[in-house]
Amino acid sequence: MKIKVIRRVVQLAVLAVLIAVPIYAQNPIEWAPSRIALGELPPPRVSRVWGDTWSFSFYGITITHPLAALEAVLAAKVVYLPLLMAALFPLIITLLLGRIFCSWLCPVGFLLELNQRLRGFLRKKGIARDVRLRDYRYHLLGFSLVLTFFFATPVVSAFDPPHVFGRELFYLFTYHSVSLGGITLLAGIFIFEALASERAWCRSFCPAGGFLSLLGAKRLLRIQKKKERCILCGECNIACPYNLRPVELGIDKDFNDKTCDNCGLCRDACPAGALYYTIRR
Amino acid sequence: MRLSRRGFIRSSALLWLGFFGFKMRKEAPVLRPPGATRDFLARCIRCGKCGEACPYDSIKFFDISAGANVATPYINPLETPCYLCLQRTGEGKDEPLSEFLLCGEACPTGALKKIRNDRDTLLSLPDELKIGVSVLNRDICLAWQYDSCGECYYNCPLRDDAMLDYPPNEVIKGAVGIRPYVNEKHCVGCGMCNYVCPVNEKIARATMEPGRKLTYFEERYAAMVRNVIGKAGRGVRLPAVRVVKRV
Repeated sequence: MKIKVIRRVVQLAVLAVLIAVPIYAQNPIEWAPSRIALGELPPPRVSRVWGDTWSFSFYGITITHPLAALEAVLAAKVVYLPLLMAALFPLIITLLLGRIFCSWLCPVGFLLELNQRLRGFLRKKGIARDVRLRDYRYHLLGFSLVLTFFFATPVVSAFDPPHVFGRELFYLFTYHSVSLGGITLLAGIFIFEALASERAWCRSFCPAGGFLSLLGAKRLLRIQKKKERCILCGECNIACPYNLRPVELGIDKDFNDKTCDNCGLCRDACPAGALYYTIRR
Repeated sequence: MRLSRRGFIRSSALLWLGFFGFKMRKEAPVLRPPGATRDFLARCIRCGKCGEACPYDSIKFFDISAGANVATPYINPLETPCYLCLQRTGEGKDEPLSEFLLCGEACPTGALKKIRNDRDTLLSLPDELKIGVSVLNRDICLAWQYDSCGECYYNCPLRDDAMLDYPPNEVIKGAVGIRPYVNEKHCVGCGMCNYVCPVNEKIARATMEPGRKLTYFEERYAAMVRNVIGKAGRGVRLPAVRVVKRV
């Protein structure tokens, strides 16, 4: 079974949750003062499932993105225990399994993967270009955290694309409007990736992804290669969305330490079935 | 460690940026949801869960134009007041919807404190956790001027504590009906009075619009509202009872 199929199912499920939660939480009824003066209040809508990928609550159980927790601590200079508890579960998952958030859960990552088809089409037409970018994720992360500390206000929280995406969906269903800033950011990323550079945000700019990369550097779950099976065709290198070279696994010791997000595309692409997931070498 | 000139300029630029950033960062002069702490802007991770939890969608969010306040929640009582997580039963009695105010319960970072949703807790809430405080302008208040209103008093969720029907320690000649009085000690600034106050431009303009069918509420107050606004002159802040931020 292809990993990609399972991954797509999970990604679609996340997208469905992100859409269903604000639809269920919305209260479209607004009553004029004259009706309230007659002694009636509008019917309330109490939901117990809130949030998106940045912070999510399900009947009192809260999960928060580790970077959100770090930012809140850095900005407020106060440690709030429930926040740390909420960040604990994703933190442990990332430490053990790597940044599977990016490849399995992130809704924007999912849509950007689909955006690749548009890019392919535009490249055939000769419109799209190939701009090479270095990995600026750690620079942006460090810069954001410094700003967070000195501004005393969370910075990545304001523009993290999956969070902005969830937020815009919430604004759309609840207030029937979207915010200009968020839509500009998302549209900018999609257009830039379609026209200028392949997977530019995830590869080069995403500070949240960079943070998860750092956390997952010593992860247990890794891609490994059966050397005797590999036919050195290089299909895995082409499949990798981060320009890594799985073909060099076991040859080059420095391979795939941080950037790999365990998406499994290389494993699916391998015609010889040489690549497999393993627990720490 | 030797510091090159370039490195020095770079690091000092970062310091300057932090300094100016701190200067630029301003708390927006708006009403935050109940339970907002003093360091709200630092603690809020912009998750938006308070708005999703709000059973009446009273909480709105800033756009990018608000600078550092982007995606932080606010309440505009003129659009939708905070109903303090109450629901009104058939007999006109208000009952709490949940154990805690839902926005505070949803907040993952403690930027909004968890506040127990009962009358006694709300009445003894510390000042810094309140949304704001109502201010009543007696010069344009229909109850004070014409003895013919009292919507704010009747609709106050904390009636007889936050909003009184007669000012204590005051004697008013010829008072027959209600003389609303805001008790600043107990008012949490939910904005219900602000929302229902008929002294607003919408009602003042209602009779002037041709072909518009007036509601009972508008018909009842429009003439008086026009009178009272005319008397007060330009530049008067409407409505007669407004919620302002506590300082």
